[in-house]
Amino acid sequence: MKDEIRSSIVIERTYKAEPAELWDLWTTKEGFESWWGPEGFRADVHRIEGHHGGPLHYDMVAATPAMIAAMESMGQPTSTACKGCFSEFRPYERLVLTQVIDFLPRVQPYDSRIEVDFIPVAEGHVRMIVTLSQMHDAQTTTMQLQGFTSQLSKLDRRFGWEG
Amino acid sequence: MHIDAFQTLADPTRRRVLDALRLGERQVNDVVEEIGIHQSGVSRHLRILHEAGFVAVRPDGPRRLYSLKPEPFRELDAWLGRYRQVWDARLDRFGEALEARQQQCQCARSDGT
Repeated sequence: MKDEIRSSIVIERTYKAEPAELWDLWTTKEGFESWWGPEGFRADVHRIEGHHGGPLHYDMVAATPAMIAAMESMGQPTSTACKGCFSEFRPYERLVLTQVIDFLPRVQPYDSRIEVDFIPVAEGHVRMIVTLSQMHDAQTTTMQLQGFTSQLSKLDRRFGWEG
Repeated sequence: MHIDAFQTLADPTRRRVLDALRLGERQVNDVVEEIGIHQSGVSRHLRILHEAGFVAVRPDGPRRLYSLKPEPFRELDAWLGRYRQVWDARLDRFGEALEARQQQCQCARSDGT
């Protein structure tokens, strides 16, 4: 078995809503496009199929004049194609969105995994737990860390993530 | 972010050595017993962890006691925190999108009555 490094971030929120309302925001074109960021970008969904193994293909597009200018000044494209799929799909309970991050120069493609659990709590409230993981083969990771970390910094700049 | 921190943690045995130190100061033999590899291996990993700043060592008579240092863990946490912030902002938008949809639904319902 390959040894994998898996770095995870868990973030959770509670919403006053029904599970189906939250579910739609992740699994429908209109829903996904209405919030998927990051700031300054929009997602143009080309293909989304709500079932186990269903594809989610979208372009991440710089959406504000400032972001477009920023991307151009860095010599970066203003639109990036992103491909993923719903590797788990249990309506209103849990989904896993696996995306292949294959657009970072000099970095071997790797899987980014977003697990989302929807847990009804008090009447009319749902706790949404998002677990973000990036899976890397340990050996490859060791060799790539320098490049990868520098690319992440670029990604920060690219997506305006630097605070 | 120090790349060395990730390089240090890339080794699964070193992560087990760190785990063995979570409950406090230990000497080499304690770690050997807990993770079940040869003492020379444990000593080597402890040396690397010490050099990378993850582990402190202090003499106690003839013994050497090893313990975790918090700094690199804080640094890792701070690094991850930047990505947490991205998701905080993203989930803020998620909440706004949800509210907008809920309002739309309410409007549609009141139009229908």
